[in-house]
Amino acid sequence: MDELPSEVDLLIIGTGFIESIISAAASRIGKSVLHLDPNDYYGNQWGSFNLQALLDYNPDPSEPCDFRNKSFSLKNFHYEWLMEDQKEDLLKNSRKFNIDLTPKLHYCRGDFVQLLITSNIARYSEFRSVTRILTWLNGQLELVPCSRSDVFASQKVSVVEKRVLMKLLTSLDDILDSENTHNFKKFLESRKLSDNLVTYVMAMAGATEHTSLGEGVKSVKRFLDSLGRFGKTPYLFSMYGSGEIAQAFCRLSAVFGGIYALNQQNLISLDSEDNRITSLTTTKQQIRAQNYVTSLEQCSEKFLRPVKINNYISRAILITNKSILPSEQEQLSFLIYPEGTERIINVFELGSLTGTCPKNYYLVHLTSKQVTTPQEDFKGALGNLFSGSDQPQIIFSCYFSIPETSDLDFENVPENLFLCPGPDNDLDYNSSIQKAREIFEKMYPDLEFLPRAPDPEEIIIGD
Amino acid sequence: MDDYKFLFKVVLVGNAGVGKTCLVRRFTQGLFPPGQGATIGVDFMIKTVDVGNEKVKLQIWDTAGQERFRSITQSYYRSAHALILVYDISCQPTFDCLPDWLREIEEYASSKVLRVLVGNKIDRDDREIPIQVGEEFAERHNMYFLETSAKESDNVERLFMQIAEDLMKQARMTNVPRYDPNSYNVDSSSQESSCCSRLT
Repeated sequence: MDELPSEVDLLIIGTGFIESIISAAASRIGKSVLHLDPNDYYGNQWGSFNLQALLDYNPDPSEPCDFRNKSFSLKNFHYEWLMEDQKEDLLKNSRKFNIDLTPKLHYCRGDFVQLLITSNIARYSEFRSVTRILTWLNGQLELVPCSRSDVFASQKVSVVEKRVLMKLLTSLDDILDSENTHNFKKFLESRKLSDNLVTYVMAMAGATEHTSLGEGVKSVKRFLDSLGRFGKTPYLFSMYGSGEIAQAFCRLSAVFGGIYALNQQNLISLDSEDNRITSLTTTKQQIRAQNYVTSLEQCSEKFLRPVKINNYISRAILITNKSILPSEQEQLSFLIYPEGTERIINVFELGSLTGTCPKNYYLVHLTSKQVTTPQEDFKGALGNLFSGSDQPQIIFSCYFSIPETSDLDFENVPENLFLCPGPDNDLDYNSSIQKAREIFEKMYPDLEFLPRAPDPEEIIIGD
Repeated sequence: MDDYKFLFKVVLVGNAGVGKTCLVRRFTQGLFPPGQGATIGVDFMIKTVDVGNEKVKLQIWDTAGQERFRSITQSYYRSAHALILVYDISCQPTFDCLPDWLREIEEYASSKVLRVLVGNKIDRDDREIPIQVGEEFAERHNMYFLETSAKESDNVERLFMQIAEDLMKQARMTNVPRYDPNSYNVDSSSQESSCCSRLT
C-alpha cells in the first residue's frame, strides 16, 4: 500500500461532522489536506451503522492509546433483544439498516440546506421530507398543524382559535418589543390560546416551560420560515441516515485533492514544541503540517485540560414492528414529546423509504438531554407509546449517552491545534457548521468558506 | 437544460492505478491523459449518447482517489445504476483485490445495480491475468465482462454503450419511476423536482 504524504498544509484526525466540513473547506481553497481516522468507518459519533455493526460497536476500546480519548467516548452503551424470534430475520437484513448514532433534521430553508446547495454537496445526497409532526397531548398523539391550510382543516381547533393563532403567527416580529413577560409559555397563555394551541405552538418551537420568550419566538419563526419549500413540514431527513452528510463533505474534500485514510491504527503521537504541534508520528513515518485538527474523541489527554463533562445526551434506538400512528402511506414522523416541564424528547420514526431500515419495520430514534440514565429518561415516553395492545412492539432497543462537548473550553491548547467537539443536542446542524466555520476562519482568515463548486458541465471540454 | 430522457449514474471502483480515470476521460473526452496526476475538482463526467432514438445521459463517477487507502465513502455507491469494477490485466494484485471490492459493493450498492467487470490495459504486453480467468470470475459473480484499453481506445465506447443500452432496457421494463412527492434532491441542478428545489 502507498505511503502517506510526509508534509501537508492541514492534517485532520477524525471524520466527524465538524472535521469533515473543515476538510472540505480547506481542500476547496487549495490547501493540501490529509484526513485520517483510526476507526475503519466514517463519522465517529456522527456515523451510521448497519445492524450488525451497531451490535459490534465498541465505544470503549480497552487498549489505551494517544488517539482514543476515553473521556469523550459514548457511555452506558447497552442493547437488548425484546423479541428474540425476530433477531435472525433482522440480522439477515442487517445491511438494510443505516442506524445513526446522532440523527439530525435539516430546516428546509436553513443555512445548512443553503450550504449544501451552494457547495454542491447536495449532489451527493438525497433527502426525504418529514411528512408529519406529532406531539403528545392529554395522553395521546396529536398531529401538529403545520400550514395555514392544516390549521384551517384541523377539527381540533375552533374558528375563533384559528383566528387568534393566525394573528399570532403573522405578527411574531412585533411581539418582542411589546411584551412584559419573558417566558414563552406564559406569553402564549396570556394571548388566550387554548391548551391545544399552546401545545401546538410549543411543539413548533420545541419549547419547554422554561423557554424564554425570545428563544421561543425565534424557534417558531424558524419553523414557519422553512415551511412550503419541500413537503408539508419544515424538515428534511438525509436518506440512508445522517451519517451520509459527513461523508458527503469528505467526498467533496477528496474531489479537491484531500487524501483519505481510514483504519489508521499505527498512529503514535502528536508531538509538540513551544506550544505548537510539530508532527504526527506513526509507526512508519513522521508527517508534518502547518495546522492540525482533531476530534476531541481522538485527541490525547495531554492537550485537553481540564476535562470536565457536565452534560450528556440520552439516546435510544428502537426497532419496532409498526408505526406509532399507522396510516395508509408510510410516514416519516417527528414527534416532539414533552417530558415533564424541563425536557423535550425528540423522536424520529423512520420507515423503509428513508433507506435506514427494511420494509415492515420502523427505526425509532429518541434524543433528549440526559437527566439520569437513557433508560430512565425514556421510560415514561416508551411506556406511553409502546405498551398498549394496539401499539407497536419493540423488537430491539439500544441505549447510550453521548457526552455534550460543544461548550467545553481547554487551557493551553497548542496554537496550531484545533479541537472539534462531538454532537450537540440540537435538532439540526447549525451550531456545528458555525463551529466548523470558526475553526476554518481562525486558520485561514479572509478566505472564503466553501465557495460554490463548479458544475461538471463547466469543467468539461468537448462532449 | 439538455434534452435527454434518461439519466444514469455509473460509478467506477477498483485499485488505484488500474486506469479508472483514463477510461472515463477516454470515453467522455476522447483523451488519454498521460501521467498519473489526480484530477482536481472533477466529481463526475457527463456524456450524452443515443440509444435507439433516445438521448441517454451518463453521469460517470470516479473515486476521487479515496480507493488508495480503501476509504471510499458509502454515499459514493448510493443510487448508482451501474458499477464498473476495474482491474489491470498486467498486475495480479489488482485482480486479487476483486473479492474485497465485491464485498464492499454488496454492502453499500443497491442489489439491483448492473455490475460490469473490466480488465484494462490490454495494450500492454506483460499480461498476468489470462482473459479466461477474468471471464470465469465475472461469470461466477454474475457480472458482464470486457477487456479494454483506455490508451488505444479499445472497447471503451463499447463498454459504456453496452451499459447505456442495458440500463435503458431495464428502465423500459420497469416503466418510468413513479413520482414520489416526499423525496428530494435539493441540488439546484437536479431536474426531477426542479419545481420545488430551484434556487432563486
